Amino acid sequence: MPKLYTFLKYFFVVLWACFVIAPFLWAISTSFKDFNSVTGGATYIPWLQFEPTLDGWSVLFKPGSQGGINIIGPYFNSIFVTLTASLISIVLGTLAAYALSRYTFKAGIVKNNDITFFFISQRIMPPVVLSIPFFIFLSSLGLLDSLAGLILVYIVLLMPIAVWIMVDFFNRVPREIDETALIDGCNPFQAFFKVVLPNSVPGMLVAGLFCIIFGWIDFFFAFILTFTKVQLLPVKIVALNSSITPWWSLSAAALVSVAPLIIVAFIVERYLSKGNLSGALK
Amino acid sequence: MAKIILENIAHTYEPNASNPIFALKEMSLSWADGGRYALLGPSGCGKTTMLNIMSGLVNPSHGKVFFDERDVTSMITEERNIAQVFQFPVIYGTMTVFENLAFPLKCRQFPEDQIERKVKEVAEILNLQDYLNNRAKGLTADQKQLISLGRGLVREDVAAILMDEPLTVIDPDLKFRLRRKLKEINDKYKTTLIYVTHDQNEAMTFADNIIVMDQGEVVQAGSPKDLFERPQTTFVGYFIGSPAMNLYECSASSKNEISIGVNSFKVQTNINNSKSENLKLGIRSEYITVENEYSDNSLEADVIEVEDFGNYKLITASFDSFKIKAKVKRELDIPSEKVILKLPAEHCCIYEDNKLI
Repeated sequence: MPKLYTFLKYFFVVLWACFVIAPFLWAISTSFKDFNSVTGGATYIPWLQFEPTLDGWSVLFKPGSQGGINIIGPYFNSIFVTLTASLISIVLGTLAAYALSRYTFKAGIVKNNDITFFFISQRIMPPVVLSIPFFIFLSSLGLLDSLAGLILVYIVLLMPIAVWIMVDFFNRVPREIDETALIDGCNPFQAFFKVVLPNSVPGMLVAGLFCIIFGWIDFFFAFILTFTKVQLLPVKIVALNSSITPWWSLSAAALVSVAPLIIVAFIVERYLSKGNLSGALK
Repeated sequence: MAKIILENIAHTYEPNASNPIFALKEMSLSWADGGRYALLGPSGCGKTTMLNIMSGLVNPSHGKVFFDERDVTSMITEERNIAQVFQFPVIYGTMTVFENLAFPLKCRQFPEDQIERKVKEVAEILNLQDYLNNRAKGLTADQKQLISLGRGLVREDVAAILMDEPLTVIDPDLKFRLRRKLKEINDKYKTTLIYVTHDQNEAMTFADNIIVMDQGEVVQAGSPKDLFERPQTTFVGYFIGSPAMNLYECSASSKNEISIGVNSFKVQTNINNSKSENLKLGIRSEYITVENEYSDNSLEADVIEVEDFGNYKLITASFDSFKIKAKVKRELDIPSEKVILKLPAEHCCIYEDNKLI
């Protein structure tokens, strides 16, 4: 029985791994194909079944005058906007979440749980509902088509995620740890920064990962709030589309755009699974 | 170090309720500087609330807290310079054992050499000297609790060390050694120790003074001997001692005599002035003796069970509709059916409305 169990376990793990890896392998192979290789039926092995070409990749880095889209600028714009908005969201979100977890707020019938829900409700609404208010808001501030405007909007979108994850995290951190720090001689701020925060790194990493993912993949707001001066990667990639879908360069662009997320997930996962940060309390 | 005085303290966790329930009912209490106290009572009786009021984690709804002459009621925890150890180990997981023990001293900006000396001294007392450079998170539950305890001990100038059932997670042998260690620390540094527990044996063996609490009230404060021999309420009689005190409803027959059913017993308490119908006789099972023949204050009971505990025997018997327990020497031969038990008058406590008279 244990052998059968081990066999089944590995069988399903391998099956799942194939299921996850297959689209990536497909995209990698497609990115090195040309029009004829893509439309001439399914082929898998380079040099044997099709002749690999770098055409799909070179389009991504050529300037527009040479028929390319040059994603380098938008790529760094996306990194800058996502990281800045995520960082600010984590900092503000963590502070808000700590307050919501540890202090009692009451205004009429509104209590802590309601305030937490107000944060999350930002994500419940369909993005299109927010598009016009955001447009008018950025327009009045003169921040349309700017990195600062996008960062502002992304903070609004990402902070609920940070607050939501961190409130839950802090709720599971025993109050005794704060109280012990107070007894040991910290004031409430020192207790938070010296004791609670270092122990909250796992939660912040998870919240950060989610913020980066949601910030990085956003197309909708990047599309409606920017025009020509500033462009983010998802918007730029859509510009590749024409009457004939260029699957090869779209595949290359997909791989380039997903790479940072894989790196971030890989780093965060390593920290979490090491166990030197998770479960640091008690 | 300081004398701690609680003056007319009361606390409710629902101050805005029209009819609030008080976790701690109004009381005044003082804790002598350098004393070794146990706060004993069932779960939910207000022990932890009282500790938290002393440490400043809870602001009392009523009353004042004094450290010596100083009113500290509105003072925040960090300014009170008090140490508190919780029931479950609280460690700073990202720090080493050394950093954990040094933390209270660093927060108060002690010089580095003094911190190192003190941390090593405390680590030695607690047998943690080999783990000083280890991450605190990787240690066992009892080692973690030792760290919590150690953080309380590194400061010599604390007003008091408050311990909220601190040895729950520690194995019995180490528990015994630690209690002895705490006593030594108390003798050596004259630090006031207040030890919360619901385990009477722990309280009896640790403290010079025991404060028994029930339903938010202090029901008796005194030495282990006082609590055992003269419980001030039936609750204390029942709560302290194993087995619990034998308690029977009774009626006054004369000035120094009471009746339980058809049996009469002489007592040393003057019960002439008693007006209440609610009279009870209480006697510890340790003071009941087995006799060969009838005499004053003896009764015949049917033996239900005799349990041999190795160092003593516990007889459970019944008379009329009452049960009685007697703790006797192991060597004694106990008849299997009927036994004559004597309730010595000097050990009979009489309670009126559950209070000793």
